[in-house]
Amino acid sequence: MRIHLLLTVAIACASALELPSQGRGRRGARQRPPTPPPAPAPAETETDKEPEQHVAIIGGDVYLGTGQRLSGATVLIGDDKILEVGHNLTLPEGTTKIDAKGKVVSPGFVCVSGSGMGAARSAPFKDGANPYDPSIKQGLAAGITSFMTGSAGSSKTVSGSNAIAKLAYGDLDGMVLRENTVAGISVPLSLAEFAKLEETIEKARKYLAELEEFPKKKAADAKAKEPRMPPGADKIVDVLRGKVALWVSLRSGGFNPFRMRGGGPTKSDVDAIRQALAISELFGKGVVLQKPVCAWLIPDEIAATGSMVVLSPRDRTPPDPKDPDRTGSNLASAAILAAAGVPIAVTCPTGRFGGGGVGTGGILGQDLNTPHVDAAYAVRGGLDNRKALRSLTLDAARMLGADARIGSLEPGKDADVLILDGDPLHYATFVETALVNGKVVYQKAEEPLYSHIKR
Amino acid sequence: MNKPRLLTLTLTLAIASTLTAQNHRPIAFTNARIVTISGDTIERGTLVVRHGKIEAIGADVAAPAGARIIDATGKTIMPGLVSASSRAGLVTQSNTPRPPRARGGRRFFTRTTRSSRGAENKAATKVIDGLYPRQKVFGQLLDVGITSLALTPQGNAFPGTGAILAPDGKTLTELTANDAAFVQITMARGSATKKLLKDNFAKAKKIVEERKKPKEQPKAAPKPDKAAPAAAPPAAEEVKEPPKPTPTPTPTPKPTPTPTPKPTPTPAKEPPKPAAGKPAAAQPKAPAAKKDPNLELLADLLEGKQRAILAIGSGTDLLHWNDAVDAEIEFPRTIVVAGHDPFSGTVDQVVDELGKLDCTVLLPATMTTKPRSRNLIHPAKILHDAGIEIGFLIGDNPAAARLLFFRLMELVRYGLPTKVALEGITLVPAKALGIDKKVGTLDVGKDANLIVFSGEPLSPQGEIDSVWIRGRAVDRQP
Repeated sequence: MRIHLLLTVAIACASALELPSQGRGRRGARQRPPTPPPAPAPAETETDKEPEQHVAIIGGDVYLGTGQRLSGATVLIGDDKILEVGHNLTLPEGTTKIDAKGKVVSPGFVCVSGSGMGAARSAPFKDGANPYDPSIKQGLAAGITSFMTGSAGSSKTVSGSNAIAKLAYGDLDGMVLRENTVAGISVPLSLAEFAKLEETIEKARKYLAELEEFPKKKAADAKAKEPRMPPGADKIVDVLRGKVALWVSLRSGGFNPFRMRGGGPTKSDVDAIRQALAISELFGKGVVLQKPVCAWLIPDEIAATGSMVVLSPRDRTPPDPKDPDRTGSNLASAAILAAAGVPIAVTCPTGRFGGGGVGTGGILGQDLNTPHVDAAYAVRGGLDNRKALRSLTLDAARMLGADARIGSLEPGKDADVLILDGDPLHYATFVETALVNGKVVYQKAEEPLYSHIKR
Repeated sequence: MNKPRLLTLTLTLAIASTLTAQNHRPIAFTNARIVTISGDTIERGTLVVRHGKIEAIGADVAAPAGARIIDATGKTIMPGLVSASSRAGLVTQSNTPRPPRARGGRRFFTRTTRSSRGAENKAATKVIDGLYPRQKVFGQLLDVGITSLALTPQGNAFPGTGAILAPDGKTLTELTANDAAFVQITMARGSATKKLLKDNFAKAKKIVEERKKPKEQPKAAPKPDKAAPAAAPPAAEEVKEPPKPTPTPTPTPKPTPTPTPKPTPTPAKEPPKPAAGKPAAAQPKAPAAKKDPNLELLADLLEGKQRAILAIGSGTDLLHWNDAVDAEIEFPRTIVVAGHDPFSGTVDQVVDELGKLDCTVLLPATMTTKPRSRNLIHPAKILHDAGIEIGFLIGDNPAAARLLFFRLMELVRYGLPTKVALEGITLVPAKALGIDKKVGTLDVGKDANLIVFSGEPLSPQGEIDSVWIRGRAVDRQP
């Protein structure tokens, strides 16, 4: 076991040396297509049409979200997209200027799972959206500009009904970025369930292969029948095609009332994670592990499959005295995973009183009101600042398969921008202005939430 | 024996004739301050009522000979109120959705406007069929000055056809002024309602197109004629049940259990039908059965023959309405905003969209606040300033209706012109219901529906002195 693990590490390191550094963590040794869940093709709206309105955020310290930071730079926005980020930009006539000198500019935070904030609870998500929900403002005050609503899917088959919701206050069309962005499965699976999954994936692959051949066949024989989708394989086909990202939720055992109270022994979920990685191998692409406890014990195995991890750094679990080597987690989990090259996304400790919303019903900040503080906890555990910010922005967007649209301040992406009054990860930082789809949707001074807090 | 009997008869006749004469006897309110709504306020004038109508009105009008003269010195007369959205006299039915209720648990601040459940096209169902006459509430509403009442169907999407009531009636016939006055459309956020609206308007559009086609066949001509009364019948022909069986005279319609109004019967399905009934009789009947009165009514709406009241719960609902229903679809409509919901956007937040829709907006006569704050906002003034015609909802609760003038005072105090406030409870709702030719203002020829105030209506001193409906004084309840 150990040897195998060491070997994997060695291979991973060796191969990482050969790969060009992309700043996105090392890739695995196995010959797999790179993971990034395929973002949708650049939106059709993004044509050569000249933008009608320009907004420029001038002079701030701009965190691009990719890890880069530009001091005193300008972010130029055309309509709802970012046109350019840099120094000495020539601004078109009639540009609305927002002064950000002495301020910090960052991409809007992407929250991998949330609820409320104007989003509908079930599909079709646009039809139930409430673009005037006041909790949208509260989400924006927390820095969130997009989040996943609905469920990622946590049954024993690949399923899920969800959407990326945006906090586009007052704009119904802007409220949903994309529906069904993620499909999920829950592990551990029994041997029979795993075999069934394997079989369905095989059928799905065959279907895709036949589908690719079909135009040729059709040309040869007009009567050729179009291949049919194998039953129950539609989500799997989507994952294989790269349309949706696959999430794996981990259950380390039954319901444990002790965990509800913030601690207590739990069973190790290492085996479940390994099964998730096995599923990842079946698909030939990385998966997103949802809140594993012990992922930090096998970071290199996870990195080798190109998988990613969603975790909450504050979820600390003491080791089970009966099995201390394979249980427990701590603040350093995020740092250990990141050091092995596993992209991480940070969320709040959901499932407790705060839940995944921005209400004020949460206790001790265990809700989405302070995502930057959750990332700061990971920093406290040893994660470096840049990766911590990425865990809230670009890496989180990758896990939702939307990194072509959101997550960083790069030309062509949605103009979801925050102007902050301090370091993005500092606990005392507030969002001063938030833009979603190029429109100013939140101003601290205008809203009754935090306008009374002045420095 | 003969003589006394004759005497009694003559006496009775005499009394009866004097009584009728008294009914015909004009009434003249003199020295009154008259708020005509349609024109300038007459500071000191006379208003003459005869046969339930206003015969003359003006500063220098003389009371006709033999008129009963009511000296209204120091009093103000204004038109009776028009309540454009009411459920008075409708006992809560089991099929009406329960009002949205906050779920228990953590949902402290969320508030949904209306759930999308139970969306159905019941446009041709008449709300009047659920009315219970002889209810106390009508008297109570008359007491507070409401002389015209629109009965509103409740439910999602197309809950039915609304009626207009004269609240002084005792029987159903007396109560009913118009049993098919408007089509109610209720918008709810949610895919079920949105899909239903979209689909039904698309179908209605097709019907309109078909109607426009020249009718050559003599067979085809009578069909629409039959269908038109089915869609908007002047008399109460329909029953409470969903009006699937068309009220055409044929008494032997098989209970044709095909609710889908899809045209062009497929040849595959045709054989079983004649087997069930007579083939000869079934054929002329079949096309008639296809007409869905609900859709026909919507087609009337799109042709401008009928008017609609579109009820929304919030700004969000309006955005969803725009999203669901094509902007090209035009029909006479009034938007009714059921309440100010800061948790789904108050109407002032969608003032631009409302402006584009270009229709009258009726809203509660209250101020509201920004969400989670005490900062007051004045949606009525914001809409009025944006050039939108506004009116107010009065409601059915007599206690709340008594506060109406107090509420209007508050709105005027915060900047709404007095004229707009008074028009908003009389002329504007009357126009919205299409009864402005008869009520809503004090003009010659209109119904003499009057409220006599003991002072200025919009002042703390103003109190309702008496209410008159079609020239008759309302017995005010103690």
